[in-house]
Amino acid sequence: MIANIGYIALVLAFLSAIYSAVAAWYGNRTGKPAWVESARNATIAIFFLILLACVALIVSILQDDFSVEYVWRVSSREMPTYLKVTALWGGQAGSLLFWNLLLGTFTAASLIINWKKQRVFMPYALIVASMTQIFFLFLVVFIENPFARLDVIPPDGNGLNPLLRHPGMIIHPPMLYLGFVGFTIPYTFAMAALMSNRLDDTWITSTRRWTLVAWLFLSLGLILGGRWAYDVLGWGGYWGWDPVENASLMPWLAGTAFLHSVMIQEKRDMFKMWNMFLVILTYSLVILGTFVVRSGVISSVHSFAQSAIGPLFFGFISIMFIFSAYWVSKRRSALTTDNHIRSFLSREAAFLYNNFLIIAILAIVFLFTYYPIISELFTGEKGFVGPPVYERALAPLFALLLLLMGVAPLTMWYRSSLKRIEMSIRWPALVATIFVAVLFAFGVRSWGALLGFWIVGFSGILTVLEFWKGTRARMRRGESAGSALSNLLSRNRRRYGGYWIHIGVLVMAFGIIGTELFQQQTQIRLQSGESVSLGNYEMVFNQVERYPGPDDLVITEATVDVYQNGELVRTLHPRTELYTRTMQPMTIPNARSTISEDFYVLLVDWEPVSPDEATFRIFLNPLINWIWAGAIIFAIGTLIAAWPDRREEYVVSNELVRNALGTAD
Amino acid sequence: MAQASWTKKENIESAEKSQNGRLKFIVGGIVLVGAIAFLVFNAMSGNTQLYKTVDEFYADQSRLVGRDLRVAGWVLGDTIEYEQIDATTSILSFDIVDNHDNPGNRLHVVVHNEPRPDLLQDNAQALVEGRADANGEFTAIPGGLMLKCPTRYEEMEQAGVDVPEEMPSQNNGA
Repeated sequence: MIANIGYIALVLAFLSAIYSAVAAWYGNRTGKPAWVESARNATIAIFFLILLACVALIVSILQDDFSVEYVWRVSSREMPTYLKVTALWGGQAGSLLFWNLLLGTFTAASLIINWKKQRVFMPYALIVASMTQIFFLFLVVFIENPFARLDVIPPDGNGLNPLLRHPGMIIHPPMLYLGFVGFTIPYTFAMAALMSNRLDDTWITSTRRWTLVAWLFLSLGLILGGRWAYDVLGWGGYWGWDPVENASLMPWLAGTAFLHSVMIQEKRDMFKMWNMFLVILTYSLVILGTFVVRSGVISSVHSFAQSAIGPLFFGFISIMFIFSAYWVSKRRSALTTDNHIRSFLSREAAFLYNNFLIIAILAIVFLFTYYPIISELFTGEKGFVGPPVYERALAPLFALLLLLMGVAPLTMWYRSSLKRIEMSIRWPALVATIFVAVLFAFGVRSWGALLGFWIVGFSGILTVLEFWKGTRARMRRGESAGSALSNLLSRNRRRYGGYWIHIGVLVMAFGIIGTELFQQQTQIRLQSGESVSLGNYEMVFNQVERYPGPDDLVITEATVDVYQNGELVRTLHPRTELYTRTMQPMTIPNARSTISEDFYVLLVDWEPVSPDEATFRIFLNPLINWIWAGAIIFAIGTLIAAWPDRREEYVVSNELVRNALGTAD
Repeated sequence: MAQASWTKKENIESAEKSQNGRLKFIVGGIVLVGAIAFLVFNAMSGNTQLYKTVDEFYADQSRLVGRDLRVAGWVLGDTIEYEQIDATTSILSFDIVDNHDNPGNRLHVVVHNEPRPDLLQDNAQALVEGRADANGEFTAIPGGLMLKCPTRYEEMEQAGVDVPEEMPSQNNGA
């Protein structure tokens, strides 16, 4: 019954989306605003209908209604309530429904918020937003119906995949989806600007915050995914250049390029065509990413989740691409500008270098990710590119990007003086060199690492100096240090929020260099009482015990004592969990974490189990916690940059009034 | 408008200057794109692997011996052998085939000094990175054994989460 309500709601939402697109088009064409308003109301109705469908699915899961195939697939009677709720996005059909909910929410909210301010865009925004919504609703209504029934009602369900029961995994997919869905909003408004031929900065200013928020969620999604891999997958790493990871990284890169290059459009009225291209690229990569994750198209040698949605996604991407290309080419004259970059040493040139590097990284990730398909096309043989190739090709580009991060804020718009920049970088360069010399004295001999640490130190000092310079200027005007800093941030949210993000990135880079270049590992079989050394650690194995856990779980847990420089610092309990119903094992690492490193222990190969014998794999991951700390700094910076700014809204609304009165320039 | 007061000569000069600037950017751009292409080519040369199935490997064995390969196949459970030689040395070996129910060619895979992964079971799908010798014995590189268990992965992939497509062999947790 409840499942039927959910399905009917989805069908109605699908029909409303079609209606919304048609009504907006008709209302705009015939000049009847009532139709456009009706289209907007349909969009709001879509949100409530999808919400109803989600509630219906959650209620079905909570009621253990295993006649619904999806409920049977992802839930079971004994599962705790919070997992039953999060099982909404624990499988393909449910996660698509959840995608629809987020899309419906973002679309309705962005239309309502901008309704009065950007009235001209609205019919077009409604048409574009509805096109995306129609496609995703079509998928859940006709292809991956979450309310599909089973003929025979099973007594119990499969239960959620144990790997997905980790807290990181519960919030990681919604974060990624929020990021993905969020990027449809700038696309919608960009297309609306093209279609309405209003190609000033309005579409950028009205979607700026959406873009930043989407970008924040996508960043958090990527980082949480890495953290989950580190905590649960037990291979000592956090990023593997896997196609599915790359599928989320690519739209993030395109979005990052866009966030930087919009500033050139705002300040210098340049790069309009390029920004339009970046928005379309980001949107296309979002849809492609959603598709790649679900289709198994890249690893077709060993894919399982072959689903009918593959060709549909391909068709949709093609349609949207042709649609976008048509409008860009139709409006190309309005997208060109007479302004040009006057100096290689200017802020706009710095943004250009930034975009060049990010797009180069994106292109390389794209080439490597799709290399199996590309190589088969050209050579007839399926090739593969592993993580070391990615690292070798991308490391120099990331290093240049980090260097640019430090130097670019020193440049000025139009033209900057080389001499001034030289003066500004002299001391930071010297301090960074001393820092690296100290590392060298302490025995660091890897040239890659020394160069990397130098760049991180150099750019880090320059970025911190930006805060110092701004704060000092305010303190001279009589403000106290604290209020000077907080005023600096609140008056220039985007700029200093951006620098704050840069500091987060540099801290993460410091951690990544440490783990990538200095990770140590060993594997050993130990008898009770025996020990193994790694770095300045020694680990003594005590015993293994096996006991039943909650539900169908059997836990095998080892106890090891960790000594650092001969002193007992921690007792760790790495363990293996076996979900006996599905016979699914999980290896849960246990680590001693400090600011300088993680001593990360895995209990592997406990068969034949014996209380005084076990095999361990141990990793020493230097500086890894800097990655997580950098991520937190990064997120705070993004919040600073995205936080609503009253003054800015006042300026925007004044500008709108001027536009409306025809007094704008 | 500031430009209105410019003399004609200044205008021409500025146009020439801007064309010059544009040329510089174009030349610079070509050089940079060339540098990136070199970077990619340099990183890839000799470091890419070929994807093969077991039968594809045997069809072209003489050419593929000694090459970096990724071979995918299904594990025959009764061929799995694991020997712990001492605390840090072990040998794991098993055969993979293209069709589990109707095994034809078998590729004998040898893995040194890695634990026996929990996922290594009959009919699991294995993906091994390494090289084969002339006798058809395939030696995996460290960390080069990846396993998938169809039913479990299906769920994960369907969940749309970023689960690595292949799990390194030390990952028993999948």
